Amino acid sequence: MLLQKTKLRNFLIVFFVVPASFGFTLIHGQPVFKDVTEESGIHHQFAVFEGMFGGGACVFDLNNDGLEDLYITGGMNDDALYLNTGNGMFKDIFKNSGLEKTSHYVTQGVAGADINKDGWVDLFITTITTRDSVKVIPRAENLLFLNNGNSTFRDVTEEYGLKDLVSFSMGVSFGDINADGYPDAYIGNYFQDYEGQLSAINDATIVNANATSKGYLLRNVNGQSFSNVYSDYGLSYKGFGFGGTFTDFDNDYDVDLLVNHDFGYKASPNFFLENKYPDNEYMNRAKELAMDLKINAMGTAVGDYNFDGMLDYYVTNIRFNRFMVSQGEGKAYADKSKELGMGYVSISWGTNFADFDHDTDLDLFVANGDLNPNDVPMADYFFENNNGMFTEKAPAVGLNDYGIGRGSVVFDMDNDGDLDLLVINQKPVLNYPVNSQTHLYRNDAAKGNWLKVALKGIDSDTHGIGSRVEIVVGKIKMIREIDGGSSHLSQNSTIAHFGLGAATAVDSVIVTWTGGKKQVLVNQPANKMLVITEAPGEKGNKKAIVGVVVGTMLMAIVLVRYFITRRKGYKT
Amino acid sequence: MMIHTGDSKYILRTSLFVLAITLFVGVLFTQCMEEPKKNFSGQEVANAWADMALYITRHTPANSPTFASRCFGYIGVTMYESMVHGYSDYVSLAGQLNGLDKLPLPQQGGQYNWIASLNAGQAEILRTIYIQTSDINKHKIDSLESLFVNQFKGDGADAEIIERSIQYGKSVAAAIFEWSKTDGGHRGYLQNFDKTLVIPTTPGSWEPPLYGQSFSHFPLHPHWGKNRPFVKPNAELPAPKLIGYNKGSGSDYYSQFKRVYEKSQSLTQEEKETALWWGDDPSDTFTPPGHSYYLGSLVLRKTNAEPIICAETYARIGIAVADAFINCWKWKYQFYSERPSSFISRNIDERWQSFWPDPPFPAFPSGHATQAAAAATVMIDLFGAEMNIVDSAHWGRSRDELRNVDFKPRTFTSFWQVAEETANSRFYGGIHCPMDNEVGLAEGTKMGKNVNLLKWKKSETYATAKD
Repeated sequence: MLLQKTKLRNFLIVFFVVPASFGFTLIHGQPVFKDVTEESGIHHQFAVFEGMFGGGACVFDLNNDGLEDLYITGGMNDDALYLNTGNGMFKDIFKNSGLEKTSHYVTQGVAGADINKDGWVDLFITTITTRDSVKVIPRAENLLFLNNGNSTFRDVTEEYGLKDLVSFSMGVSFGDINADGYPDAYIGNYFQDYEGQLSAINDATIVNANATSKGYLLRNVNGQSFSNVYSDYGLSYKGFGFGGTFTDFDNDYDVDLLVNHDFGYKASPNFFLENKYPDNEYMNRAKELAMDLKINAMGTAVGDYNFDGMLDYYVTNIRFNRFMVSQGEGKAYADKSKELGMGYVSISWGTNFADFDHDTDLDLFVANGDLNPNDVPMADYFFENNNGMFTEKAPAVGLNDYGIGRGSVVFDMDNDGDLDLLVINQKPVLNYPVNSQTHLYRNDAAKGNWLKVALKGIDSDTHGIGSRVEIVVGKIKMIREIDGGSSHLSQNSTIAHFGLGAATAVDSVIVTWTGGKKQVLVNQPANKMLVITEAPGEKGNKKAIVGVVVGTMLMAIVLVRYFITRRKGYKT
Repeated sequence: MMIHTGDSKYILRTSLFVLAITLFVGVLFTQCMEEPKKNFSGQEVANAWADMALYITRHTPANSPTFASRCFGYIGVTMYESMVHGYSDYVSLAGQLNGLDKLPLPQQGGQYNWIASLNAGQAEILRTIYIQTSDINKHKIDSLESLFVNQFKGDGADAEIIERSIQYGKSVAAAIFEWSKTDGGHRGYLQNFDKTLVIPTTPGSWEPPLYGQSFSHFPLHPHWGKNRPFVKPNAELPAPKLIGYNKGSGSDYYSQFKRVYEKSQSLTQEEKETALWWGDDPSDTFTPPGHSYYLGSLVLRKTNAEPIICAETYARIGIAVADAFINCWKWKYQFYSERPSSFISRNIDERWQSFWPDPPFPAFPSGHATQAAAAATVMIDLFGAEMNIVDSAHWGRSRDELRNVDFKPRTFTSFWQVAEETANSRFYGGIHCPMDNEVGLAEGTKMGKNVNLLKWKKSETYATAKD
């Protein structure tokens, strides 16, 4: 999509391209994705602060009724808490939810996890400043709310030790960094902290305000507080942080961390941190693995697109997104975006891998939107995967929305087995030729069988955030990671979803919980949601190996003694 | 090593070894005890303050080429005015510079140590005009000032003279700082970006860069052109002409961008090195006007110029670059012209990316070219056209891994060669058309000439000002 800013261009988009796309989909029958925003009751726009960033959404089941709900940040507008009431309907229950405190802040991103292992998903919301007062140097604490279990929440920011982390924060993601079952968090900060008092602001502090920042690596201490262990884990870098995604890139069942930085060619590039669990250390492998992307990295989609057992990473950017495909264990990743049919010029933010059409391979959604205050309309992308090549088909499938796209999430909103899509859009800052608002798209054309897997952790995180689900269907092996936060400032559903094509059953479902404990189920029929509860027992490969070795040695000793005594003719 | 007691060779060897050690330690010891105190010459003091000005420029956050250039103007003028009354052939700029009617005069018949006055003046102007710099940097300024004051006092000098000189230097700096407050750029780092600015969108207009140096989507200092130049004739220069917008592939306008595109497809390693050497991004370096000020310090050290010549040189360079940025910015925001990244991606190659990221302001004319030409013009007037220069400003900077470029010192044989290479660096970087550079060089030259036409020496008349 060429980025033209003339009035003529906008005129053409409004009066020709948009209607033509609509007409195109009408001619070809039902759109694959139907924009059901109006009828669903979702009415949302993200309002920026001074032309800056945001927003995002997280998918979670706030009342454990089996229907997935949404929290959407609003920026200068109020946030929204959309309760899924069934049949594709949502109701905003933000008022009287206990979350109203967020209305005093300019919110950015959000992620949900069961912080205190009480069975209810809690919310962590990032902020850049307060709304009430105009701060010379905009900063504010991020907000943590515990779920009361009755569709209300309570603010525990101070209780959990987060009140004094006053920052300009972008994205938050959950992952269990030390495999203790309590979900930890990574927060990307864009500008450095300002810890001083307002009265101490002078010219020197003001000019320092827009320097790069460290992130926060927040360890969840027994579900009762958070502790910033950034430097304890060996981290000292500063960057224009957009956030990170916890992901197990080296297949050793601990959560590594992909960190996105803006202006990577000028300040710090992306980091690709290997978790050295059980040591408390993150080691940067970015340079040797060619993941030190020197771009404006906004968001990440994680998926094994070519079934080779190695996760690949799509990273959004200004102009050219990167599709970093694994070339094998320990080898540098290679950017295959152009080669695989995704070499388009865009300004991209949210992004999600999902098998939308149930043909077993992963398709990719990308939310596009201009920078403020320019606001040139650009349509979102839908890259359909066919035999490992991607074709951009947003107009044909009904996803070529020209709003100012930012965060995006996939989830099964109507429990019909396929994945639907929510895309957050910003309210335009200047005159904008087309509508720009948050959209809910219902997936209406997925043919083929599917399987959903929801994890119930006991020792591990309640929803298995960061854990891995693999399925084997004939010759194909598919991997999913339970998402703790990815896309842009967002978090997808924590229920793993697989498209199975024509297969009516799955040969095996292998769950590897963070830390290494495995569970296997075989012969699972398709078109169901499996709920897998964590089996009790030792976790971790390492302990298992020790156990096996010791056990073998003991058995060997016993056997040797037995044969020796037999040979000597010793009779008891 | 086997030791055989009684071995005469061993005894001799050992004795010599012990003697050598003793001598070595003795020499070391006496050196430490009697280390002669370094006495800095007047020119060393002057050039040390230029180094400090460059250091502060480099290490103050949220700096910009515009604000930095303004500071060099006031810092240079302060150095000159803190000394000028001690040199009978030199003329004060009070009454000559725009809005500067008078400055404190030394006492009639009073005795002064003019280097002590320079020292005090430089410390004072740096502290005030760079008030936003860190406390650590302010300590550095204090330390440098103290180092030299201790020398002046320790020379067996009259304490009263030193004190009088210090107070005088301070008063000159204070008066110049007061004068600076009304030029429109005072504390300009608080207004780097105007978020209420409405940016034109007609074809050929500047757009916030997609591959840019700054996180701001607003352009830098859009009102800087309204500031008061140091030299009145520089305030009256007519605007240059810009080639009219025409995206037709046969037009002059199109061919400007075509040349940038073609050069980008065949950049040599030398050209890449040039692009990076002169990049001078304010967040990493002493800025482009700083590079000109630095070149001045190179030449002054090389020629071992007397302190008053140092002061005159820094004043001329400072004024030249300050006025260059005011006028250049005035025209940038009058024309609001687009960068190659906008035109090329739209009309030639959608996937094109400049070698160097775009700075956050419109293109025409080039700030680099304008200030380099202005600085070269004053240097030529002072030192003549030819000069062997080894520019080591960025020597020691680590390799740019992304672009595969090292920072290697660059040699020149004339001042104008430096200016032309500065301008060309932006062409190689893919962020300026030839016209941005050509017009910048031409206009900068005019401004430099106006600086040369100030009355610096009593013995000079206008007729002898070199072209």
